[in-house]
Amino acid sequence: MKDKQFWIGSGIIIVFLLIYNMMGHPHFLTNRTVMFFAILLFSGTLIYYTRLAKMGEPIFLRDIPGLKAVEEAVGRSTEMGKQVLYVPGIMDMDQVETVAGVIVLGHVAKMTARYETPLNVPVSRSIVMKAGREACKESYLMEGRPDLFQEDMVHYLTDDQFAYAAGVNGIMVREEPAACLYMGKFYAESLILAETGNSIGAIQIAGTASQSQIPFFVTACDYTLIGEEFFAASAYLSQKPELLGGIKGQDVLKAIVVGTILFATVLRFFHDMGWVSWDVMKFLTIQ
Amino acid sequence: MFWKRTIPIAIVGFVGFLTLFGWFIDQPSIKAFVEDDATQWYDILASFAIFLGALNLLKMQSQKILKKQKGWQYSIFAIGGFIFSILAGFVIKGNDAIQWGAHVTGKGTLFKWMFEFMFTPLSATMFALLAFFVASASYRAFRIRNFEATLLLVSGIIIMLGRVPIGLKISSWFVMYITLLGFGIVVNTYFKNKQITLAFVGGGILLITIAGYLMGWPINEPGLFYLPVLQDWIYNIPNVAGARAIMIGIGLGIFATSMRYILGIEKSYIGE
Repeated sequence: MKDKQFWIGSGIIIVFLLIYNMMGHPHFLTNRTVMFFAILLFSGTLIYYTRLAKMGEPIFLRDIPGLKAVEEAVGRSTEMGKQVLYVPGIMDMDQVETVAGVIVLGHVAKMTARYETPLNVPVSRSIVMKAGREACKESYLMEGRPDLFQEDMVHYLTDDQFAYAAGVNGIMVREEPAACLYMGKFYAESLILAETGNSIGAIQIAGTASQSQIPFFVTACDYTLIGEEFFAASAYLSQKPELLGGIKGQDVLKAIVVGTILFATVLRFFHDMGWVSWDVMKFLTIQ
Repeated sequence: MFWKRTIPIAIVGFVGFLTLFGWFIDQPSIKAFVEDDATQWYDILASFAIFLGALNLLKMQSQKILKKQKGWQYSIFAIGGFIFSILAGFVIKGNDAIQWGAHVTGKGTLFKWMFEFMFTPLSATMFALLAFFVASASYRAFRIRNFEATLLLVSGIIIMLGRVPIGLKISSWFVMYITLLGFGIVVNTYFKNKQITLAFVGGGILLITIAGYLMGWPINEPGLFYLPVLQDWIYNIPNVAGARAIMIGIGLGIFATSMRYILGIEKSYIGE
């Protein structure tokens, strides 16, 4: 009960929902009730821990080697006098991974501005190009080096998957960047990019939530941010309390999900044995 | 500040909540917006944004040629390809019997020719490179460095052999002998005693041979050592368990990140 405001707010929402239910819950799809309350619970948990962190509660975030290595990679590029290549995936801004990739780009741009290292960001979508430019411009401004920012450091190649892979490979082979960072949504081009980066001896860090591409990145890159680590990157790199709180909330949610899986397994076993007539799987299945 | 930050964050929050909670509301107009209109809005915006990208591409490549930067010759092909695509798409149809618009997929048109004989082979070439990259990546991944890499190698071999016709012909008894020899290496490494290793391997061979003789050496029994069965188990049980664990993490990560955007906690996508 550390955050009274949060609990009062939660109480008001619960009262509002009870009144809405008593009114016959008009326009509400009752077959999605479980999902609705799960979203409320998940959102509430995230908000609670975010607020706690904002209020000064210390949040422990374990070391993520891939994220620690980002600064190391930029430093290496600086020492070698070569550029940092950043690939924000091949999808558009309607994908949460691309947005996460652009956010990490902002943090990387801060480092390149600090170390005066050239940054090269080839993109495959025009909107990503605009968003990436804004993120980089902001970072260079914040680091007090707007003179180093050039709009064309974030440039468009093509929308096509393999043409884009060919374009990025060409940049790698010609420019030989010292560090290649792949952060976003990837498909079959992931291994083409990562293997080419490997062949030029660049330090490579990848981050993606594209499950089928994770093994390729793990094999070909020096560090890989797997799934949720990638989404934690912004919090880790910025060390902002409100973002760190969200990560803790995420961990609590994971514990809740694990608990639910175990509990549901036991209940399902009881159901299969005929001891309980209520089928937990039907209850949890999204309608 | 208000126009560049507050308004965009408010729009993200409003549309985010509408999309999220619209899924629970049985209201046709909200449903239509969530499932159809919102994505169409995005497509329209993205279509206009392509001009920005195309102009940027032309500018970058032209600059390369004019300044004779490293690899400027490739930029000639890039600009040439760009102009050729524009001509094939908007100016030269190549087949008068086909209407404009339909010429993109119609036979005998310049655009279709370009797609079939230039674009498709080039894309296929890039895709085909994957085979070589998979080979080089597999070589690195399967090199025996530690226990995990060895486990990966063994699992990889079982999966590969179990999924090809020759895997059906390999007797489970043969796999048992190989497994026993593998464990013999472990025993020898652990005890560093030749007699214990000999006793383990010799006794094991004897047991397997007696069991095989008594059972009549059926090729697919015991099923635990039959490669197609074993690969099926590895693929569907430990592999799926690991993949689902990652999926749960990814799902929660996406949810938490989306909520941070919707609630305005994460604002760095529009600047600090």
